[in-house]
Amino acid sequence: MSAPTAPVAAEGPGLRSSRERLRRSLGKAPIYLLLCGGAAFALVPFVWMLSTALKTPGQLFKFPPEFIPNPVAWTNFAEAWTALPFGAMILNSVFVTTLAMFGELCSAVIVAYGFARFRFRFRNTLFLLMLSTMMLPWVVTLIPGFLIWKQFGLINTFDPLTVGALFAWGPFYIFLLRQFFLGVSRELEEAATVDGANALQVLWYVLLPLVKPVLLAVAVLSFQGNWNNFKGALIYLGQPIERFTLPLGLQFFQASIGTEAPRWHLMMAMSLLMVIPVMILFFLAQRQFIEGIQLGGVKG
Amino acid sequence: MFQWYAETFGRYVFVAAAIVVVMLLTFRGLRALGVRREPATGFALILPWFLGFLIWNLFPVAASLYLSLTNYNVLQAPDLVGLANYQKILGDDEQFAASLRLTMAYAAISVPFGLVLSLFAAMLLNQGVRGVGLWRTLFYLPAVLPAFVAALLWRLLLLPTRSGLVNTATEPIWSRFGEGPTRWFLDPDTVLWGFVIMSFWGVFGANTVIMLAGLKNISKDLYEAADVDGAGLLPKFRHITIPQLTPTLFYLLIMGIIAGVQVFDQGLFVKVPRENFLNVYLYIQGFTFFHMGYASAIAWVMFVIILVLTLAVFRSSQAWVYYEGEVRR
Repeated sequence: MSAPTAPVAAEGPGLRSSRERLRRSLGKAPIYLLLCGGAAFALVPFVWMLSTALKTPGQLFKFPPEFIPNPVAWTNFAEAWTALPFGAMILNSVFVTTLAMFGELCSAVIVAYGFARFRFRFRNTLFLLMLSTMMLPWVVTLIPGFLIWKQFGLINTFDPLTVGALFAWGPFYIFLLRQFFLGVSRELEEAATVDGANALQVLWYVLLPLVKPVLLAVAVLSFQGNWNNFKGALIYLGQPIERFTLPLGLQFFQASIGTEAPRWHLMMAMSLLMVIPVMILFFLAQRQFIEGIQLGGVKG
Repeated sequence: MFQWYAETFGRYVFVAAAIVVVMLLTFRGLRALGVRREPATGFALILPWFLGFLIWNLFPVAASLYLSLTNYNVLQAPDLVGLANYQKILGDDEQFAASLRLTMAYAAISVPFGLVLSLFAAMLLNQGVRGVGLWRTLFYLPAVLPAFVAALLWRLLLLPTRSGLVNTATEPIWSRFGEGPTRWFLDPDTVLWGFVIMSFWGVFGANTVIMLAGLKNISKDLYEAADVDGAGLLPKFRHITIPQLTPTLFYLLIMGIIAGVQVFDQGLFVKVPRENFLNVYLYIQGFTFFHMGYASAIAWVMFVIILVLTLAVFRSSQAWVYYEGEVRR
């Protein structure tokens, strides 16, 4: 490490170590500079989003652009709220996300438990088969899937976005949970079995409390995935607009406003309203979020 | 409105109950057939997935293969036409070819360069900097946004006029060459770059965080041994960091290819002058024009492309992916 020497006059045992530290951190200055550049790349778009959401239409295309709008148009949020039936869309999104998340989580836990703790014929083959479905492009199953729901007369209902989740539709979550079940020692379970607990009781009282952090990670990822499920809404939901979920509403709004005077301030206000729950969740459960996505890369 | 909820909720509960009943019946049935307790329980437990696999994967794959050989507009019964759809796709569908080119170029640029950028950022974060947690959070933040909100945001940042933020920032560059502001999503030649920049911003943080975990997993002993031998930074990077990180890189490469070729949401939130992504083209064929047979054939072409690409990476992995505890030949 060749760092520029810091100008320190006095020499003493205590000062030398602080000088040493200063020299070391100065040597890292280029690293911090690059990190700041990266962080700016990540953050400036967010700032711009917030800034645009608070502008009046007249300020939108000002040159040079302004980061802090003057005056601040707080009314944009109210206007965005009424430009679409936003209340209904939020309710729809909450309804769909809750059911889908619950179904996905429960079924993934049960299936992962089956794969992790019980030996049966073809278990490994079936597990590999499950993993390989992750590589199946969604468009391959899209049209027949649509036709199945159509056959039941359930197009333009929330069923395709929720009921399907009961069939453990997230292979990645099953994989994650299984890996963690495998990492738990069997001794406690065996003790519980000797005491007369059945398989489901063992799962509920012994295994699940031990893997709570992963459970939370899967729940958080599942919430994010379902809250942001645009494809499903686009394929299966239709008019009236009160039946849209938030992602579909946003797309409807941006497609319907034409190109002559896009109402960017409203679009950004809507986007913000939509991403706020996920953002809050992210800040509350950051560790679970980050660990959840890391696990796939390291355990896999 | 609440009636919609009630109806869906009713069917949700019914299907959940039905699955539980089928699980129980399977368990009882297997026991009655003399199967031991452990395998019977195991199979009953994985049944939700297995049923889902049959209904939502196996049958649809077969059905879409069949549909791809037909003309089908939903209203009339499918009409078998043999390989005509494939002939049209591969022979004379200009739109398909253009969409394919855009999608492939997008994946070929955004995936490898995105990985290199993330690797660089992860290496920086791994230099013992202060406040790793904070940096990590900042870098990860864009990945919290759904792809389509990111697309909308970047459409705004890349406005084709001078008042677009990116054009304002780069004015010294483009004005020097005597050109007007970059037209980004209005100019067919720059559409691709708009999408690529967008993708760097979106997945960059997530990949960085995953790679950082991979880097932290590398044993310190290796570096210490290299220090004893007097190895410099570059040899350490080439002979320790990269080989040790290859399993993570391999995973991210596979996931990146699968996601990159299937890019969709972004395409519906950005208005482009000419061709859009392959999946968007498929969606329009299938759900706007109701050419369900033709759309199925496109889906299968896509499937084959993804299969070939991932298999190629898997094949090549023996040459470059290094697993601890595995003897190298």
